[in-house]
Amino acid sequence: MNAPTFDPLSDNFARDPHTAYAMLRDLPEPYYYRDVDSWMLTKASDVEAVALNKTMLRNRDHLLSEAERKDAQRKMNWHDMPHHERFVQTNLLETEGEPHARLRKLVFREFTAAMIARQRDTIQAFVDHLLDGLKDRDAFDFVEDFAAHVPGHIIGRVIGVPDEDCPQLRIWSENIVGFFNVGCDDTDKHIAEQATKEFYEYLLTLVQARRKAPQEDLMSRMVEHRDAGHMSEDQLVATTMLILMAGHGSTIDVLGSGMHALLRFPDQHQKLRDDPALINLAVQEMFRFESPLPYFHRFATEDTEVGGRMFEAGTRFGVLYGAANRDPERFDMADQFDVTRSPNRHIAFGGGTHFCLGNHLARLDMDVIFTTLNDRFASIELVKEPTYKPGLSARGPFTLDIAVRRR
Amino acid sequence: MTKITFIEADGTTFIATAEPGMSVMQVAVNAGIAAIAAECGGACACGTCHCYVAKDWADKIAPAQDDETDMLEFVIDPAETSRLSCQIEVTPDMDGIVINVPSSQT
Repeated sequence: MNAPTFDPLSDNFARDPHTAYAMLRDLPEPYYYRDVDSWMLTKASDVEAVALNKTMLRNRDHLLSEAERKDAQRKMNWHDMPHHERFVQTNLLETEGEPHARLRKLVFREFTAAMIARQRDTIQAFVDHLLDGLKDRDAFDFVEDFAAHVPGHIIGRVIGVPDEDCPQLRIWSENIVGFFNVGCDDTDKHIAEQATKEFYEYLLTLVQARRKAPQEDLMSRMVEHRDAGHMSEDQLVATTMLILMAGHGSTIDVLGSGMHALLRFPDQHQKLRDDPALINLAVQEMFRFESPLPYFHRFATEDTEVGGRMFEAGTRFGVLYGAANRDPERFDMADQFDVTRSPNRHIAFGGGTHFCLGNHLARLDMDVIFTTLNDRFASIELVKEPTYKPGLSARGPFTLDIAVRRR
Repeated sequence: MTKITFIEADGTTFIATAEPGMSVMQVAVNAGIAAIAAECGGACACGTCHCYVAKDWADKIAPAQDDETDMLEFVIDPAETSRLSCQIEVTPDMDGIVINVPSSQT
């Protein structure tokens, strides 16, 4: 078999990853990507099978000896980062089994559809405030002037972070999340460790404040759980940090790519304008069409057949949700953006026990944002083709210059 | 083959056939029932495959385990016969079971 060219750090891939994904999907068996020592899964059936297989773990450290764990950590270049190890490498996303189930249950109740629906007015008020601030401008950057401010502000409100601190939280979050991408170097590593340290110190101060004077927010309830012995202080900080990180970048990315999709396919945008009740389906289609977190990994803990061949225990798989969501075996007209697609069984939120906790919040942010934009603006047009972020781990435009005409 | 009748919130009825070992959620998904979103794929991690087992069937199927009971606290419009369809395994003696589907779980 000829090895295809797969270079997720290239400009071509940033411009159009879907051609590369299609090429990998057409191979008779999974593609081995040496740079991350992983077998890349791109077919929806393979991705789903691995995500749902309980013997496939996001983190297998608890099955390794201390020497093996250290060795694996070094291979990832995750060594010599004490704060990152304490609060990122061991957070809820990197936990399996009993501690994962216990911690997830404690925070799941905060992110149910019913709990999140209570945030609608807060989101609407903030979106209106931001758009009021842009009222003198006929052209702006949809990402940086507008969309990027929303998710962090809202997740900050949910957790109980003062509004004025949210911009700093976004910087820490992006500096930590950036280190998950392929092709990172020691500079990125240093930045991620420093951001984790500062983020930890910030959250510790917030924990202490809420312990003294509890409020109606998630952080106060987390402190209660901690003080009732349901989690350790480190787990409290790590879980809160994860929620704050997860609540930033990926929603910003899919807001950008979702807006871009509406502008690329004006007939679909018009359908949504004509029938605003399509917003839930439209948002789901935005997640499918450009999944903001296209790449995760799993380790096999047993010899397992995947995609027609056997793999040994210990094999690392790249689980490409972004590719699976364009698999024509799963989706009719998979490369067509269709705001009426239903059912839309995309797997952009992942699958299995690590299924995205914040999916309802992300969708509500998007619902309010796109509905409000269509209410306020008679037309929205693309000024310049955007540049998308390079790499495998995140998918979204850096900027999105648009011109608007008000009603 | 086990026959399962799904009644959607608007009254639409589907009769699907299932192989033993499948979950009721998988049967519903294969039948194209959109209100069984089953977003986590069947890991008892999202609550979006919530259904109501018909009253005269509720006691005839294996009861919910702890993780399912925990998740049922968070579904939309829970009721006495609420179950997560991903956690109900089809068995031959379930032939003819009736499952009521809520309007939406997302």
